[in-house]
Amino acid sequence: MNERVTTVADLRKDGITARFSAWLSQERIFRWIPFVMVEGMIICVLIIPFILTIYISFLRWRANRPFEQAYLDGFRNYEAVLSDPGFWLSLGRTFYFAGSAVILELIIGFILAMLVHRIVAGRRIYITIFLIPMMVVPVVAGYNFSMIYLDSGPLNELLWPLTSLLGINPRIRWLSNPLAAQWAIILADIWQWTSLTFLIFLSGFSALPPQLINAARIMGASRAQVFLWVELPLLKPAIVIAIVIRSMEALKMFDPIILLTYGGPGTSTQTIAYYLWEQVWQFNKFAYGAAASILVLILFSVLIFVGIYLLGRQSEAVERGEV
Amino acid sequence: MANIRLTELVKEFGSTVAVKGISLDIENGEFLIIVGPSGCGKTTTLNMISGLETPTAGEIMIGDRVVNDVEPGDRGLGMVFQDLALFPHMSVFENIAFGLRVQKMEDQEVQERVRAAAEALYILPLLYKRPNQCSGGESQRVALARTIVNNPDVFLMDEPLSSLDAKLRVDMRTELKRLHDRLKATFVYVTHDQAEAMTMADRIVVMNGGKVEQVGSPLDIYDTPMTQFVAGFFGMPTMNFLEGVLTSSNGDPIFKSGSLEISLPEESTQNIKDNKVVLGIRSEHVSVSDGALRGQARIIEPLGDASLVYFEFGEEEELVAKVSPELRISPGDQLMFSLQASHCHLFDQSDGHRLN
Repeated sequence: MNERVTTVADLRKDGITARFSAWLSQERIFRWIPFVMVEGMIICVLIIPFILTIYISFLRWRANRPFEQAYLDGFRNYEAVLSDPGFWLSLGRTFYFAGSAVILELIIGFILAMLVHRIVAGRRIYITIFLIPMMVVPVVAGYNFSMIYLDSGPLNELLWPLTSLLGINPRIRWLSNPLAAQWAIILADIWQWTSLTFLIFLSGFSALPPQLINAARIMGASRAQVFLWVELPLLKPAIVIAIVIRSMEALKMFDPIILLTYGGPGTSTQTIAYYLWEQVWQFNKFAYGAAASILVLILFSVLIFVGIYLLGRQSEAVERGEV
Repeated sequence: MANIRLTELVKEFGSTVAVKGISLDIENGEFLIIVGPSGCGKTTTLNMISGLETPTAGEIMIGDRVVNDVEPGDRGLGMVFQDLALFPHMSVFENIAFGLRVQKMEDQEVQERVRAAAEALYILPLLYKRPNQCSGGESQRVALARTIVNNPDVFLMDEPLSSLDAKLRVDMRTELKRLHDRLKATFVYVTHDQAEAMTMADRIVVMNGGKVEQVGSPLDIYDTPMTQFVAGFFGMPTMNFLEGVLTSSNGDPIFKSGSLEISLPEESTQNIKDNKVVLGIRSEHVSVSDGALRGQARIIEPLGDASLVYFEFGEEEELVAKVSPELRISPGDQLMFSLQASHCHLFDQSDGHRLN
């Protein structure tokens, strides 16, 4: 039988401080610290507000009344949101804005990247210039555009020869006509974010293996054939990445609207983000806004999952060496 | 079928001159190998023939037309690239069919020709795989099939075997040679591997520093290298070089280097004016079993069918001899050696040109 011999050191360890330091040395506390900090942060800023939002969405409550008067009211807020044409219209407008902006950003970014990729002299200068818009703070970009669109602003000044020739009043009020205002906002978004698609496509073009293009050329492929059969398929990952990233961003479009039109004229430039903001912070309809944002969250989650699936499929194809 | 003529071809990249005026006639149906160290301009020359690079000066003729300004695809060539350049997003079938699709050929004919090419290179079972699912050797065959399917008059190959392992490379050498015999097309092949050049070529072009050092059949180049560079580039191990002077005793020419004296055949030294020379001799022409000169073995490298003996003599001069493996020599052994005077090559010490 092995009897344990008690040593002096053991006796000393029996002290409270020794036991505490032994307990500490097992890292029972320290190993939790990173977890608590990260998870704590997520719980505080994400999970709790999210649960509160769900809770509020079932309440009958307006922020201009005391909270004590609020009471649970089932799915009434949801029913109200779903039957509000304003919700559906702003949702539709969001897709219209995001779709138009992203498509044009992809096309323009692609063309710019293709041209800059072929330029040898002064390439860096072009790259720098084309990347500037992305680095401008969105609010600043919005203010700039609000000045550009002024009825005595630079856009009308530029168009003056044309308007005077056609006999139109040169003080065109771009932000007062529903269609013009919509496109003014789309244009502001395109100006700012084509930089990003340009950057993504430029890196895609730079990564094209020159030997593949040479091989195609030697086999007699024309420029168009090289582009359509070799370059474009190899750029597919870059295209998917650009579409997913830009769509996710564009669906949140808010800054240019608040700066340029305040959703107007009428509601013609209201996006879903603006709609939610207006319901909650302008009309104090907290419970209604909460319900609407939960619905938007569900809808966008589906879109985000589709986006993540597409990105994942592309990166798998890249790993398999197929593109 | 086509012959290729290069006339005073020059290529400059900014201030560096990669190719410094090359003139070359490549016969119809010839297997010509351009060989040289990295950066000698061999790939640039090939790229100028293919049209991927535009020459700074000079003229390229394929058949009887000048092709300097002809697009690569209109020159009637096929090219196999160093990294093979298979399209990763297409199946093997579509890779092979690419050149035919470009010409908008009927689908029926595309099918037939792709299958015929695949059959010729034993890759029928691979047709519906992707290039990344093929092994190195298989990819090599796909790249070849993609080239032969277009029936080009000229095949250009830029170190196509460099990505293969040693064993496969030797097998593919034989196969390429067989392919050349069957197709009877002109092959222009670029490599830095002298063994590849020796085994496959009808004629070898040795390039160095943007210039042609020598053009000749493999054995010509091996037996009569025109410069010290060529002599050193071909053969394993590298040719032995000894710096020394030519003198004569009793009218017989003698090469002297330190303590070493070798009498040379008289006719070999007739036209030599400068007496400072480099003597070159291949390892197989150094005998260590008999001779009048004394040396000490340093390193022995058994190759199986022969052994390489590195030995020292005189004032720390070193030579290597290729000897029969039966000859048992250990490092440190004293040995008596001789050089076969009839196989000595003499080069000018200043510019490396052959003297004898």
